[in-house]
Amino acid sequence: MSNSTTAEVHSAGGHLPSIATSSFLRTTRHSALRMPGIHWTDEQETGSTDTLIAGRETRKMNMYQAVRDALSNALMRDDTAVVFGEDVAFGGVFRCTMGLAEEFGRERVFNTPLSEQGIAGFGIGIAAMGHTAIAEIQFADYIFPAFDQVCRTETVCLRVSTIGAQIVNEAAKYRYRSYGQFHAGSLTIRCPSMAVGHGAHYHSQSPEGFFMGAAGIKIVIPRSPTQAKGLLLASIRDPNPVIFMEPKILYRSAVEQVPVDDYQLPLSRAETLVRGSDLTVLSWGTPIYHCETAMHMLASPPGALSPHVPSMLRGAKVELIDLRTILPWDVQTVVESVNRTGRLIVVHEAGRVGGVGAEIGAEIQKRCFLKLNAPVKLITGWDMPVPMQFEKFYMPDPLRILDGIIETLTY
Amino acid sequence: MMLRVANAYHKTQSILACRTRCVSSTPTSGPAKSFPKEHELLPSSQSPIISTLKFFNSVTVDGSQIPTYRVLDSAGQPIEGGSIPEEIDESMARRMYENMVQLPIIDNLMYNVQRQGKLAFYMTHYGEEATLIGSAAALANDDEVLGQYRELGVLMWRGFTLADMMNSSFGNCEDPCSRGKQMPMHFGSRKHHFHMISSPLATQIPQAAGVAFALRRDPHRRGKNCAVVYFGEGAASEGDFHAGMLFASTLPSPTLFLARNNGFAISTPANEQYYGDGIAARGPGYGMHTVRVDGNDVLAVYNAVKEARRLCIAEGRGVLVEAMTYRVGHHSTSDDSFAYRPRQEVEDRKRLDNPLARFRSFLEARGWWSAEEDDALKARVKDEVLREFRKAEALPKPEVRELFEQVYGGEEPWILKEQREELGMLLKKYGDAWEPWKTELKKHKGAGKELMDPKP
Repeated sequence: MSNSTTAEVHSAGGHLPSIATSSFLRTTRHSALRMPGIHWTDEQETGSTDTLIAGRETRKMNMYQAVRDALSNALMRDDTAVVFGEDVAFGGVFRCTMGLAEEFGRERVFNTPLSEQGIAGFGIGIAAMGHTAIAEIQFADYIFPAFDQVCRTETVCLRVSTIGAQIVNEAAKYRYRSYGQFHAGSLTIRCPSMAVGHGAHYHSQSPEGFFMGAAGIKIVIPRSPTQAKGLLLASIRDPNPVIFMEPKILYRSAVEQVPVDDYQLPLSRAETLVRGSDLTVLSWGTPIYHCETAMHMLASPPGALSPHVPSMLRGAKVELIDLRTILPWDVQTVVESVNRTGRLIVVHEAGRVGGVGAEIGAEIQKRCFLKLNAPVKLITGWDMPVPMQFEKFYMPDPLRILDGIIETLTY
Repeated sequence: MMLRVANAYHKTQSILACRTRCVSSTPTSGPAKSFPKEHELLPSSQSPIISTLKFFNSVTVDGSQIPTYRVLDSAGQPIEGGSIPEEIDESMARRMYENMVQLPIIDNLMYNVQRQGKLAFYMTHYGEEATLIGSAAALANDDEVLGQYRELGVLMWRGFTLADMMNSSFGNCEDPCSRGKQMPMHFGSRKHHFHMISSPLATQIPQAAGVAFALRRDPHRRGKNCAVVYFGEGAASEGDFHAGMLFASTLPSPTLFLARNNGFAISTPANEQYYGDGIAARGPGYGMHTVRVDGNDVLAVYNAVKEARRLCIAEGRGVLVEAMTYRVGHHSTSDDSFAYRPRQEVEDRKRLDNPLARFRSFLEARGWWSAEEDDALKARVKDEVLREFRKAEALPKPEVRELFEQVYGGEEPWILKEQREELGMLLKKYGDAWEPWKTELKKHKGAGKELMDPKP
């Protein structure tokens, strides 16, 4: 597992210059310490924000460093916590576990054999004993051996599924089926997800939609280093199994000031990044930055695009929301927003059919029917495997989002 | 890509290159240990080098099968060299027998009432009584057990009562296992260190390795307990069996793998399940201590599991026991096994090698048991089974609100809250008018009132 190979994966960050310069990234200590919803885990009493952040430090980190920092915090605070997966001991193929084995010992940070269903099942077993299990699946694309590949339903016999039913049939149902006697709540499965510029079919997937119907688990996707640390620590400590999907292109390209202390950000709470009154754009992970770029292009279109952006729309106020938790999602924040703006666009990398956008679109249509001034628009990957040489035409990029914004605003 | 493919490619290349070098430059004489050092450098094996091309197709040296350990012959007498464990005194032996006898009595009643439609589903234990009770008796009562579904005997050995068993089978408001959420026979009890059974086969196997890993990390239980995982020979064909064996041996976790090889996975005979020497032959491939035992001989099972447990805890790694038995009953109440195997074969097996008769002969030969006691025991158990059955049958199903509980821990998601309110509203509106609901509501404790008129 050479470092040079690892480095190649991240070079694609250069294709998305907007990430590095995003206004959503917290580049000062002050802004990092005042993140909305931040909960310092060492603070029991409620004090004013000023007293809470006095003396607290931040450090410049990219996303893999923030993930590593969160894991270190989790291992430090909880003696039962273990970190395991394929190649995590030397630091991980994305460096998210660098130095952890040296710091906490190989009994707590260790490699497993190359078997995803084994990793998930092993983690469930650890969690069933009340210990904290933090498993890594090397790519979200390889989570399927741990899913429930075949659902072969025979007439009331006990062979409902065959291959590795660990996440959907086991982790998700552990608590319910035993009436709370047993649960896998202290299991967290981390996996790099989303496109990376050249990952093709099996290093690009966004499988969150597949887990949408797996009642009993949570799905969390961060957009940046501060978010990754706070949401990951919350996921590790949540009393439910959580799949934590880390957009891998952001590992190096997103850099923020990240609080050094142990903190959490709330699950099932979306965050409004830009307030607006004309249109709500909802996304998560990498496409958040494409949405930001599209909003800039709307306000001041680059020369060649200028004729395509009606001048009357350039002052439109677009609201941007980062959903952060996919399951169970924050319906309240989205409904409140759409009731104000009357328009909704959902942007995600995964294909449209059966995706998360379809679920959200249906719910919003039900709850905001009288307030909607345009159909809910989904801007997503096309319904096919993620293609190698065609990625630029596959992804919901800033231009497609811009076009969708124009269409929805002029409907 | 990239990462996995590139690395796998490199590994393969280097191994292949080395193997080629080693073989092509190997002299044709001399045993492996006398070879010069450079020839011994295989990157991922301690294998000696030989110059004779030889294929292996078995883990045993001469290609014969792994032997089966036995203590008692089919007439209940110790075979030559067979040793009776010292702790099997009269009271222990009687307790084991009583637990074994209880199973077919429960099975008979439950099977028949299922046929009458009083129970949704049932699976019998016929023929596997010795495997279940012999292994249960050899374990510590706080070893963590993860089962498949045909292991009720293990749970009852630990004190899970007939009342618990009946309440769980009916899924009534006293069901201590899943509170009416799972099918019958899906038992589980935290108190008895018996993890919840689930239908997907073999998923419990890698979980057991994780449980064992946690036991090893727990200072109060390290060196004292192991995880025990039961599964059939059919389940051992699942990928999860491979994963569990691999993880327990590689990550060292004291996991006792107990395969019940009863010859059939529903209709599929074992010889269509694998081509090798059963499940036991796979153990050494994972570097695991392995034993095959006569599963109809309760004392052999007891001895084998006791020693397997000792090894498992002492070495902190996986150990495999394959118990050879025969599934006398149908797979389940949804199965008629005479569609795929002759009735006579089953009758022959029952007559020739009955684990209960075998152990009873052993007891009687020692004067520890008599025909009168046998009749009295069976009558007593039958009475108790009937009594608990009737009690459980009369209890209502759980409150309807429980349908929505324990999906998540912590804060309840909005979707569940809304769906509970929606069902409550519908029940209130149609609970009397819609016959299927009207009939069903009456069977539930509280008749759904707690959903129709929720307390604020």
